[in-house]
Amino acid sequence: MSRTLLRSLLELRATATTTRPTTSQLLRPFLVRHLHQTPSQIDPLPQQTQPEQPPPSPNQPLAVSPIPRCGGAPRTTSPATPETLSLLPLLAHQPGKKYLQLYIQGQAYLVTPGDQIRLPFKMPGVAPGDVLRLNRATAIGSRDFTLKGQPYVDENLFECRAVVEGTEAEPMRLKIKKKQRCRRTKTVRSKHKYTVLRVSEVRIKLPGQEEEV
Amino acid sequence: MAVKALHAISQGRNGVGAFILQCKRIDLHYCDWAGSSRGMNGFIKSLLPKFAAAHPEIEFTVSPRPAKHPVAIGHYINGRSKPICVRNMEPYEILKKLELLRDASGEKLKKVTKPVRSINESVRGIWSPYHGNGMPL
Repeated sequence: MSRTLLRSLLELRATATTTRPTTSQLLRPFLVRHLHQTPSQIDPLPQQTQPEQPPPSPNQPLAVSPIPRCGGAPRTTSPATPETLSLLPLLAHQPGKKYLQLYIQGQAYLVTPGDQIRLPFKMPGVAPGDVLRLNRATAIGSRDFTLKGQPYVDENLFECRAVVEGTEAEPMRLKIKKKQRCRRTKTVRSKHKYTVLRVSEVRIKLPGQEEEV
Repeated sequence: MAVKALHAISQGRNGVGAFILQCKRIDLHYCDWAGSSRGMNGFIKSLLPKFAAAHPEIEFTVSPRPAKHPVAIGHYINGRSKPICVRNMEPYEILKKLELLRDASGEKLKKVTKPVRSINESVRGIWSPYHGNGMPL
């Protein structure tokens, strides 16, 4: 494959017409629970991987829309157009690794398989070893091609899994509060906790053949 | 004869393939007499059997340490340990501390500014002005 600087922008038309209940139920983010959990954590889990969002409004504009905030993003991704599906094999058959621009809780992470993500929060209800299926991505890319979503790539086109590695903390922060003309000082201590994920699997799924890349 | 360093062939990436919990052992120390161990003694009696049964990959050792405060010490695969003093804590507070020890990686706490840590090389390569067709002006 020639290393040209050609960059093919595959357009996804944001046709927010119909949500497909059967496929979207099958491909919901799921959590594989392992045995090493305390009794306090065996409560039934909601969908932890993605923020809870209201369903898309029926009169969604067809034009390019910026990436919505946590509150306004659509719950299901719009299905890929036939044009996208015809061009996707070009991306999938490129040599080398693929990258994903994942979207977790309003923040984007550009990841390749094997990367470690340190989320800026402590994810509730997960234990080390849990597997998360991440299904929101704004872009999939290879060496020469990028598939951009509007705002998200169709979740049936790729499969990304991440393993919860554990919870890490930062060193204790000390903030000294001091007012003028007063000797008294107050020290505020804080120590944030972060959930660490490891991207274990990134696959591009072609509609014809299930096992790909 | 000079000592030759071995080159690291691969770096461990926990979770790619197999996942291995980093905490390998948790030591619990208690005192029968001291009041600060009251919560710890209750924890060992009531909550520890369930917690230990739920974590077969962690080795739990319980031993007395007379006339000292109770301690929970986590030992990790990377050789480090994390001791937590649990004096005057209630059993459920101690359970939270044990969950902290289980979830920790054993590394020293560091301030991290970049959210993604990667050892893969760049997917799209490094831009070069000497390659490609250039831009006609």
